Amino acid sequence: MRMRLKLKTVFVLYFTVSLLGLIYALMQLGQRCDCRGHDMSKDQQISQLRGELQKLQEHIKTELNKKTDVPKIYVITPTYARLVQKAELTRLSHTFLHVPQLHWIVVEDAPQPTLLVTDFLAASGLTYTHLHKLTPKDRKLQEGDPSWLKPRGAEQRNEGLRWLREMGAAAEGKEAAALEEAVVYFADDDNTYSLQLFEEMRYTYRVSVWPVGLVGGMKFERPVVEDGKVVRFHTGWRPNRPFPIDMAGFAVSLRLILTSPQARFDGDAQMGFLESSFLQHLVTMDELEPKADLCTKVLVWHTRTEKPKMKREDALQKQGLGSDPDVEV
Amino acid sequence: MPKRRDILAIVLIVLPWTLLITVWHQSAIAPLFAIRKDDGTETRHDTGPATDSKEYCSQDKDIVEVVRTEYVYTRPPPWSDVLPTIHVITPTYSRPVQKAELTRLANTFLHVPNLHWILVEDSQRRTPLVTRLLRETGLNYTHLNVETPRNYKLRGDTRDPRIPRGTMQRNLALRWLRETFNSNSSQAGIVYFADDDNTYSLELFEEMRSTRKVSVWPVAFVGGLRYESPKVNAAGKVYGWKTVFDPHRPFAIDMAGFAINLRLILFKPQAYFKLRGVKGGYQESSLLRELVTLSDLEPKAANCTKILVWHTRTEKPVLVNEGKKGFTDPNVEI
Repeated sequence: MRMRLKLKTVFVLYFTVSLLGLIYALMQLGQRCDCRGHDMSKDQQISQLRGELQKLQEHIKTELNKKTDVPKIYVITPTYARLVQKAELTRLSHTFLHVPQLHWIVVEDAPQPTLLVTDFLAASGLTYTHLHKLTPKDRKLQEGDPSWLKPRGAEQRNEGLRWLREMGAAAEGKEAAALEEAVVYFADDDNTYSLQLFEEMRYTYRVSVWPVGLVGGMKFERPVVEDGKVVRFHTGWRPNRPFPIDMAGFAVSLRLILTSPQARFDGDAQMGFLESSFLQHLVTMDELEPKADLCTKVLVWHTRTEKPKMKREDALQKQGLGSDPDVEV
Repeated sequence: MPKRRDILAIVLIVLPWTLLITVWHQSAIAPLFAIRKDDGTETRHDTGPATDSKEYCSQDKDIVEVVRTEYVYTRPPPWSDVLPTIHVITPTYSRPVQKAELTRLANTFLHVPNLHWILVEDSQRRTPLVTRLLRETGLNYTHLNVETPRNYKLRGDTRDPRIPRGTMQRNLALRWLRETFNSNSSQAGIVYFADDDNTYSLELFEEMRSTRKVSVWPVAFVGGLRYESPKVNAAGKVYGWKTVFDPHRPFAIDMAGFAINLRLILFKPQAYFKLRGVKGGYQESSLLRELVTLSDLEPKAANCTKILVWHTRTEKPVLVNEGKKGFTDPNVEI
């Protein structure tokens, strides 16, 4: 009897264990992934991964912008059509894609939006607003004019400000509250921006300032800070301007822009006074907020791109043999 | 009666095990075949059919899940075991715009998965500026340096005019690759020469990833044209070069216009850029003719009809206000 009992128990135990094991295994197997994927050839895998990449890029954009607890940065970039435009905008967008809660306001110096910029912005993956404003002929630089002769981009930046004010007036509730915290930055399309710069400017109460590299005929220009306040500006050129600072060297809180509707860039301003024409309506020097380690670090550079030599292209075009104009450069 | 019982007992014992074995068998067979086919791909699952197929599958899924969430919070994108690595070789040298150029280049590279940046300085020692910059970007990098010998007999700062700029640096990087990877390893890689002042679209890197030997595409703003491009026939093969400047060069293409499969670099260990006696515009040919023939070239960028890279050049900044003694604090890095 005992032996039999033992056997019976063993058997029951064995049966239960194996049944449980089978059920467990079946449950695991039930979640099998699609093993068909492993039969794919290398090329198919790569194109499948490309698709993944695209999806991931879309995901970053939405995820980056989901970080709604940080103030938004509105970047106003005036741009105009020339050979290097697409290249400049491309590498600029690569920088902006890393910055959370960034809204790019691109203002073309054109009578209507161009196809190049429209298509580019749509494919960029950024949150953007596409505007346009044509500079009147008398204010426009002519071919051969030195770049400093007339201030550039004033009308376009003012158009960006106008859009922001329009949006500010229409916003209400949570949106309006978010605008109170936002910051506005004027970024030209040929400068170089480090990622840290955007984190420095994000918390601006009125106007924040920092050094700019490779500008004013010097390695860098900067505000001089004593006791946490800006006391003067270190610049090699006309330091007696109200604000001898480059466009890339300051950011303004959106709140201040919305409460100062008269503040705009003066397109007729004297050379080098464009920034001052805007800032003097908004703030005094001692109200400036110094960033970048009390203005000792260079986080933005005023780079300029050479105009590409088109001698051979011009010669070919004269013969009617120019490169295919349908290929967008 | 006992007989039936016995039979029943035996059946009940055997049934679960047969079911189990059948199911395992079925799922074990499929990945077995897959592993045999995919001999070229980088997979870490080469431990073979011994591993549970279920683990293999769920690991794959997990990788995808991990990539989804981690990409959001980290730069650069997490390393993938499947994508071929792009080894980007960039020669660089100290000048005022260097940090700016490298910064915006890094901002572009931070979007490219499986990118390995080989930055080679033209200097006697690796500079702190570049060392710090590379570390802070978070990119996967290798920092090398080699100084191009200057011919002091020539005026001032000019380097030996017979050695084109960047050549020794690119060659050093090629040597490093050959010393680091042996031809037997299955590490899939693509080698690309990227100068620090050009502009690269993200699409370009995905186009070059599928290079088998040498792939080519158009480059904007070179040769005095809007763009230079390989000529591609209806069969999708390169048969010439659409350039004005010496289109009869063996490879009338800019440094930024081609990429080479790492296997080919390892397979031909004697292939380097020629140092001396190279005519202007023939540098690229000096390397490529040792590696590949015209018919082997793979045209990318929609059969060489799209521009995905621009040969931009940055203006030399005017530092006139620094004066002789320097106006700004030399300790501030630009």
